Amino acid sequence: MPLLEIKNLVTAFHTPAGRVPAVDGVSLSINRGTTLGLVGESGCGKSVTALSILRLVSAPGVIESGEILLENGRSTQNLVTLGERELCRVRGGRIGMIFQEPMTSLNPVFTLGDQIAEAVHLHEKVSRAEARLRSLEMLKLVRMADPEQRLHEYPHQLSGGMRQRVMIAMALVCRPDLVIADEPTTALDVTIQAQILDLLSAVRKRLSTAILLITHDLGVVAETCDEVAVMYAGKIVERAPTAELFSRPLHPYTIGLIAARPTPGASRSVPLRTIPGMVPLPHNFPSGCRFHPRCAYAQFPRCQTEPAELREVTPGHFVRCHFAGELDVPHNH
Amino acid sequence: MSDPLLVVDQLTMHFPVRKGLLRRVVGAVRAVDNVSFSIARGQTLGLVGESGCGKTTVGRSILRLLPPTAGSVHFDGLDVLAQSPRALRAMRRRMQIVFQDPYGSLNPRLSVRSILEEGLIVHRMGDAAERLHRMTTALDRTGMQAGCLDRYPHEFSGGQRQRIAIARALVLEPDFLVLDEPISALDVSIQAQVVNLLVTLREDLGLTYLFISHDLSVIEYVSDHVAVMYLGRIVEQSPAERLYAEPLHPYTLALFSAVPSIDPARRRGRIVLPGDVPSPSRPPSGCRFHPRCPLAETICRDIDPPGVTVDGHLVHCHVAARELDRAGGNASSAALRMAELVAETLDKSASEDSLASPSH
Repeated sequence: MPLLEIKNLVTAFHTPAGRVPAVDGVSLSINRGTTLGLVGESGCGKSVTALSILRLVSAPGVIESGEILLENGRSTQNLVTLGERELCRVRGGRIGMIFQEPMTSLNPVFTLGDQIAEAVHLHEKVSRAEARLRSLEMLKLVRMADPEQRLHEYPHQLSGGMRQRVMIAMALVCRPDLVIADEPTTALDVTIQAQILDLLSAVRKRLSTAILLITHDLGVVAETCDEVAVMYAGKIVERAPTAELFSRPLHPYTIGLIAARPTPGASRSVPLRTIPGMVPLPHNFPSGCRFHPRCAYAQFPRCQTEPAELREVTPGHFVRCHFAGELDVPHNH
Repeated sequence: MSDPLLVVDQLTMHFPVRKGLLRRVVGAVRAVDNVSFSIARGQTLGLVGESGCGKTTVGRSILRLLPPTAGSVHFDGLDVLAQSPRALRAMRRRMQIVFQDPYGSLNPRLSVRSILEEGLIVHRMGDAAERLHRMTTALDRTGMQAGCLDRYPHEFSGGQRQRIAIARALVLEPDFLVLDEPISALDVSIQAQVVNLLVTLREDLGLTYLFISHDLSVIEYVSDHVAVMYLGRIVEQSPAERLYAEPLHPYTLALFSAVPSIDPARRRGRIVLPGDVPSPSRPPSGCRFHPRCPLAETICRDIDPPGVTVDGHLVHCHVAARELDRAGGNASSAALRMAELVAETLDKSASEDSLASPSH
């Protein structure tokens, strides 16, 4: 049984301008101890998917349908319908979350020690001394320099990389089974990013935590994830084990994303391969296949009129494209 | 090089830190320290480094948007820092800038027409009809329609706004463009479009670029020469292919190896630097990189490494200088040796380091 299974999730925002389906029928599963990468560009719905898991989507966003099943011994709990009290036990207890901007996710008026200890107090009946000890342990686990000192410091006294370590410590302090990391390194410099990714990998091995890693950076996904799901316009368009996805991408959008990065040693006289046009806004998604206006392989009228289903093209490799596997696509890496 | 368009010599930018009621100067943020480089006409210098290294400050100082504390900037033979306000204005027509944030760099209250026309009016470039012609030409060059003149920035996407910002820079027909992280705020699929545009414009219009970015892949693609900055200093500088093939400075090595890559072959031997970048108000003694450097020696703590140049490849590092000497000036061998030394040092420390084990 997978640790977490999302089935046909639909999360929509009911705005004055109309209904905006940010997540439009997404299905994913994560097994214990594995890392799933959810990759896509801005507006594709990846963050809303993550927030939906813990029912953190603010109004006017609403989970309209679908199930989010968390393994619970022999059975499962549906997080969509779970009572508020039970859900609070899940948040931080069984599923931890690391947010993108450590600057804005930490409370500026409380010490770091207090913020980590708060997570402990919410889930376990421990004394203040015990909670403080646990906080200290976590700071050591995330390789924070001078951890005793840090317990008494405030977020503004720390650099971005250090704040992110604190976020990771907070997310892990109650030993959750799953950690959702929403763009955990996007705001960090590349050498600090390397430290944080290295840390996440070590921590995952040590604690056997599953990770749902949300990012737009294909390189990060390639290095840290067991499986990858690519999102576009509210839907999953491709899903496969990591090595398979990068050696044999099948969806034109995935192919385009991979090709858009300059390869080392590329000659400047050769223009970069681009995906023409722009990401569509959820207010008016294109008809049929949502990617068709930008797709180099689109065939009319089918791609314009008929939405594609997510099909298993080869074992474990799912693609949402009428012509997946049949396209003559260059594999240039 | 013959007749460089831009020559920057010992550029220094210190920002005073003031405290107390009397606003006494108690220290300085040494954002840029003795930075020197030149750019030949039609070429692109890539300036790469992480946050706080001073690259944005360099870009702005060159245009005298910030007054340098020391050093000189010569544009087409003229001393930028000595120009009178009137002469500076005329010079600024030829030196333009595109900023990182497409949402912050366009005035939301001005129509695109006003945004593009402002510079033309200030520099008295033509009457209304001619200004219109220049604006539509600039828009056309950046792939935007003339119809957007009467619209406002908020009606456009990030990529489109950046095109408008580029059109604004181009409308005055400059010779030189400072591009300060022009694509960082854009989605990956749009980045490639804007990069292609910038390369095309450079070829078609004979432009010279200072391209500032933290994105190594893009820098490698667009640049002829690359300078790597760390904490206010240039630590390494060379023709682009040479830098990527044979990096000499330990920081450059770490920077390159830190970039996550799709290609499995590039992931071997990841160098993870310890700690954070120190504050530019309290830079370390000697070589500023020494506290984080896997190869640091006593001399690195005491003496700021002088620059050593071999075949147009400049590096500020005691260890690299020694290896270059041993290799008889052969940069390739020295670079290989530097990579080996770093790998050896990190292997040793990896076996000593282990994840702390909590009691639960």
